[in-house]
Amino acid sequence: MRLTFLLVVLAGAIFYTYIAFVDLSFMTRSGRLGPGFFPRIVGVIAVIFIAWSVFDAMRDRSARGLGGTGSNWSDVFVLISLAIGYAVLLRLFGGFIATVLYLAIALSILNRGRHVQNGILALTIPGGVYLLFDKLLNANMPPAVFDLPF
Amino acid sequence: MDIFSDLIMGLSIAITPINLLYLLIGAAIGMIVGVIPGFGPSAGLAILLPMTFGMDPIGAIMMLAAIYYGAMYGGTITSILLNTPGESATVASTFDGFPLAKNGRAGPALVMQAVASFVGGTVGVILITLLAPMFAQVSRSFGPPEYFLLALMGMLTLIVMIGENWRLGIVSALIGFALGTVGVDLETGQGRYTFGSAELIGGIYFIPIAIGLFGLGELFYAFYQGLHRTGTGGIVNYDNEERFWPTRLDWMSTRMTMARQSVLGFVVGVIPGAGATIASLMAYSTERSLSKNPENFGKGEMAGLVAPETANNAASSGAMIPLLTLGIPGSASTAVLLAAFLLWGLRPGPLFMEQNPELAWGLIASMYLGNMALLAISIFAIPLFVQIIKVPYRILGPTVVVVCALGTFSVNASFVELYIMFAAGIAGFFMRLYGFSAAALVLALVLGPLAEEALRQTLAISRGSFAIFVERPASLWIIAVTVVLVVCLPLLNRFGAKAQAARKSGV
Repeated sequence: MRLTFLLVVLAGAIFYTYIAFVDLSFMTRSGRLGPGFFPRIVGVIAVIFIAWSVFDAMRDRSARGLGGTGSNWSDVFVLISLAIGYAVLLRLFGGFIATVLYLAIALSILNRGRHVQNGILALTIPGGVYLLFDKLLNANMPPAVFDLPF
Repeated sequence: MDIFSDLIMGLSIAITPINLLYLLIGAAIGMIVGVIPGFGPSAGLAILLPMTFGMDPIGAIMMLAAIYYGAMYGGTITSILLNTPGESATVASTFDGFPLAKNGRAGPALVMQAVASFVGGTVGVILITLLAPMFAQVSRSFGPPEYFLLALMGMLTLIVMIGENWRLGIVSALIGFALGTVGVDLETGQGRYTFGSAELIGGIYFIPIAIGLFGLGELFYAFYQGLHRTGTGGIVNYDNEERFWPTRLDWMSTRMTMARQSVLGFVVGVIPGAGATIASLMAYSTERSLSKNPENFGKGEMAGLVAPETANNAASSGAMIPLLTLGIPGSASTAVLLAAFLLWGLRPGPLFMEQNPELAWGLIASMYLGNMALLAISIFAIPLFVQIIKVPYRILGPTVVVVCALGTFSVNASFVELYIMFAAGIAGFFMRLYGFSAAALVLALVLGPLAEEALRQTLAISRGSFAIFVERPASLWIIAVTVVLVVCLPLLNRFGAKAQAARKSGV
């Protein structure tokens, strides 16, 4: 898993460096340093250091993340999936409704069996957050694609 | 005399009902952030920064600064009662804090940590008051070469402090630099890495990355560690103790500890990259070697709790010096604070105190008041914070996701930034898991554009010659200091690691 992550980072660094060399000029026409100067330096050093880390990780395949158990991995995966789902819900239903739905689902999975507590939290937390952001701070809340009729 | 009148002016700005309210809210939020294991001041600042947008700049900066130093107070409560540090700077406080609590002295330990934090924080602010104008005076002669070197110094010192994972620290910093190059190049007007997206023309905004890495990334990592399963069953109950207040011996035996560790912590805090964690570990180690009873350390010695607590609070004050006078943040937390200044159109640096005296001195004055407020809050609101410790992570987790998402969206009403925040959160989890440094990434993201601009200006001045860096006395001084720090800081790091190892082995 560590090696996979490093390979993804390496691919990103190679792509970044490629763009720096192909699309961005090193010098401007007036002879000053161009927009590609800094990205080229950053990209080349990044590729070297990440490749070095990849090489080390391949040599030492046992070097993996420590501390978590299999069930913790699944909990992290659930939490990440819920977060991604929340991002989708926010786009579709806007700040308040999406938050109620997200909390209802998330708490029913993570805080199992406590239906009354989960129900109260799924309504009060979005209510509090809505009052804080929308009314008190006058901040932007995500608008809904599918808004409620009321 | 000038300093005194400036401070009085700062107090007159800070002491308004609304600013005092913001200060108290910030101090309380800081303590709450510190109490929650896994969340440090960086996470608290990043998540709560968007909420300050509707405020006036002075109140907002005062509140954010209070969150920053308030987190140092709060982090120790869990160190003492639960043997779980709220954040890395309070790890050393568990060494003697938890044994004190287990010996039936949780009350005196909680009071003494609050007093030590207050002394460290207040001595730190006194030193800021005296030294910040001097630092600003010196840095007025700095030009682009010096600014580039300072940015480099900040990054290098942070990376050498990472220790054995220094290579991944460099990679993290390079990712931050790379993200900082996205957007239109201001000198030529050419787009870089925008891929035709209008949203990326202005660059990748700092807030979603910081909230994602520190907020969501840390949350996912806390779940990975199983914090949502462990709960707070091991919390020490202090309600039944006969003596809540410290004894005369506690006060007398630790007064010199507070005095020397305040100065040590402040000095370590001023060094970019060193920070409160190293300060607290160094303080513990030096105090143990100076003590007449070193064998009692690790078994519930009050000086062993007071030393790191004093030092970490003094260090968090010290870190404000390079931020205010050079505009160079030395840590992830001060990088978020710098971002807050920039959002308000304020540019910390040599002229900051001269051009914005109300804000600079209002902030410094507010830190005196904030420390007083935190002393009172941390002694009298302990039962409240104990209740917060008891909120399970399985409820806290989804709530943090909500606050991170809505906070990010509230800044620019941008769904792209919301998705960047979620992506940064997932990346932040894997970075944390595999030894990368989110702090280095965030610091590089803030310093990258400044460093690039300064480097290009420098090379334009010198017509492409790098010799300019060794021709200017100020640049040479910065290079010399950087070399000394890069050589010495790993030794300090080892010093701190030794203190931890000695404590674990019970030596």
